[in-house]
Amino acid sequence: MAVGPGGFMLARVDDVARWAQSSSVWPLTMGLACCAIEMMSVTSAEYDIARLGSEVFRSSPRQADLMIVSGRVAQKMAPVIKRLYDQMADPKWVISMGACASSGGMFDNYAIVQGVDTVIPVDVYVPGCPPTPDGLLYAVNLIQQQIREGGRGGIFVRA
Amino acid sequence: MPSTQNPPLSGAALDPTSVRPPIDDATIERIAPAQLRARLEALKAEGYAMLLDLGAVDYLERRPRFDVVYHLLKLPPKPATLSEVGTPARLRLLCGIDEGQRLPTAMDIWKSADWAEREIYDLFGIVFDGHADLRRIQMPLDWEGHPLRKDYPTRGPARERSPRPAFASKTNVVAGTPPSGRTLEALQEEVKRARES
Amino acid sequence: MTLSVNPAMPEVVSQSENTMVLSMGPQHPSTHGVLQIVLEIDSENVVKADPEIGYLHTGIEKTAEGLFWTQAQTALERMDYLAPSSNALGYALAAEKLLGITDRIPPRAQVVRVLQMELTRIASHCVWLGTHGIDLGAISVFFYCFDLRENILDLQEATGGARMHPNYIRIGGLNGDLPQGYIERLDAVIEKFPGRLRELRGLLQANPIFQDRTIDVGVLTPEEALQWSVTGPALRASGIAYDVRRAFPYCGYETYQFDIPTRVEADAYARFLVRLDEMEESMRIVEQARKRLDTPGPVMIDDPKVALPPKETIALSMEALIHHFKLISEGFRVPPGDVYHAIEGPRGELGYYLVSNGENRPYRVRVRPPSLYNLQALKGIAPGNLIADLVVMIGSLDPVFGEVDR
Repeated sequence: MAVGPGGFMLARVDDVARWAQSSSVWPLTMGLACCAIEMMSVTSAEYDIARLGSEVFRSSPRQADLMIVSGRVAQKMAPVIKRLYDQMADPKWVISMGACASSGGMFDNYAIVQGVDTVIPVDVYVPGCPPTPDGLLYAVNLIQQQIREGGRGGIFVRA
Repeated sequence: MPSTQNPPLSGAALDPTSVRPPIDDATIERIAPAQLRARLEALKAEGYAMLLDLGAVDYLERRPRFDVVYHLLKLPPKPATLSEVGTPARLRLLCGIDEGQRLPTAMDIWKSADWAEREIYDLFGIVFDGHADLRRIQMPLDWEGHPLRKDYPTRGPARERSPRPAFASKTNVVAGTPPSGRTLEALQEEVKRARES
Repeated sequence: MTLSVNPAMPEVVSQSENTMVLSMGPQHPSTHGVLQIVLEIDSENVVKADPEIGYLHTGIEKTAEGLFWTQAQTALERMDYLAPSSNALGYALAAEKLLGITDRIPPRAQVVRVLQMELTRIASHCVWLGTHGIDLGAISVFFYCFDLRENILDLQEATGGARMHPNYIRIGGLNGDLPQGYIERLDAVIEKFPGRLRELRGLLQANPIFQDRTIDVGVLTPEEALQWSVTGPALRASGIAYDVRRAFPYCGYETYQFDIPTRVEADAYARFLVRLDEMEESMRIVEQARKRLDTPGPVMIDDPKVALPPKETIALSMEALIHHFKLISEGFRVPPGDVYHAIEGPRGELGYYLVSNGENRPYRVRVRPPSLYNLQALKGIAPGNLIADLVVMIGSLDPVFGEVDR
């Protein structure tokens, strides 16, 4: 961005779009288990994800652009997650929060899907059981970095 | 399978409910399926107002195979203060049933038996006669198998034979299997096939 | 008409005459987790509510059968994730009964266990109040509650290393003594608490909107409560003063002075008041436990067959090394038998039916989940109310789905 003569600002449209998208990532309330409580702690005053732009957590997938899968994904819940991911509008990002969402965690059994990335594509994995809220804040920072630096996002649709 | 490493079970290892350790947690009663319904109604009339819990255990090598366990709590009628509640009495009713046998429902005696019986049906496969809506509750409706049975693999049948890291716990592997997972016969088969091809 | 909805397609299923079948959940802001309620509604009135659970079924009980006795606790701690230490305490007490070592647990360990249990109860009620407030639109309450909760989580992190699942309460006692500086931080929390609770009460208790939305909503008569096996604050708000800490004391609860708040109105407001009063009583117990912490002592049973030997002795004593090796590689064996032991969790009677067949792994861990039975009562109290009241009712029953589904 550059300030030109006469007070005009020059920038690429794509950069401005990415700056706007990365500064207002609104997560979807996909709180499943223990990690959901740490996700709620992230919204509380101590860690405050709102200062990163996630002012509200939208319950409707149509209005969210980040799905934070926080908690273990049971067999019954997997099709629901897929459906919700499909309902989100592009561009969308996914954080897999916690060990259970990333790989099945300590539950290597019949009931838990071994990693939500077998169901939907994931951008950032956060290890921990549950990860501290700082970990989730760092994950959102990484998503913001991804948005600004390329890949999905911006004003032009890339396949 | 019994072998020198796995001798057949007997005594307390076969039926842990046959020993009674010195624990004062509840009055224990064992009952046959035929008298279960009458006994539950009698207990309700006696003042066992709350069905605390209804669970099941699978003793794989024992006959009868399953134990359906009713935990009951006897409370005085309308106890509004702590002194009125006092020390309630606990009762544990164990009912042993076999594979394929059915039990009468307790849903009309205590409403809370509804989901508990559905869960036992879902995870153990024990059918309750007279239940209004006996369908799976924890697993998806089209799931096959009853997961909490002892012969159901912990990792699920689809992943039982999938490769896993060597340091994972070998809960599904039969005793005597070498760490590579292959027995001597299978190894010899492979060598033979490789030589023939 | 049996309501059967394919969980993968939550949409309007049937519409006949005046009623409509609508699926509320499993992803919903107000269902406190993954709950699907198949509602049959007539405009805004609920005709029938059929909760569908299982969206968080983790197979914890099956997993525990394949792990050693101490390892199983890590899986079981993740059931009621709002009060993790309560799951650990119930399991440890039940296993200790089977081992026959209940009388030999050191008194300091019992005091710290009571302390952890009551702190985790306050933390759980904080989350309940915060989310209940959010459901009703009172979003500020959430921030006040979670600020108090952060202090308690800091204390838990100091003991066990993790904020939420510290794995600090073990079979035989505790993992280790309280760290340096813990008592001072605990004193600071005890000091901050009354002011913070006054603020929470001031925010909601006399608020006319809150009272309008919760008084006479979700009335659960005592007979109905017993029929549905409701326990915990919901039962005590219906007038039945059953609390496992008083009826079947454990961990020395009979030596502490505390009241059991009970109400008779049996509506959502009564449950709200009972839980707030319970937080106060929990802090009373915490203060009493804090005074007993001044006397030092061991925190783990002195039995090398159950407890790991102190780390300093492993390099010096052959027996300590062998015991350490056997305990880590094989775990201890528990004599055969079955036991039912219950504790008073924040949601009600959390019971463990443990069966051991003499091996180093639990044969069966059947957990009596208080939230499952509390949630089932929704089928009884929902019909005839508005959908908005349904949200209040779920919040007042306070279910946790890690426990309901296990």
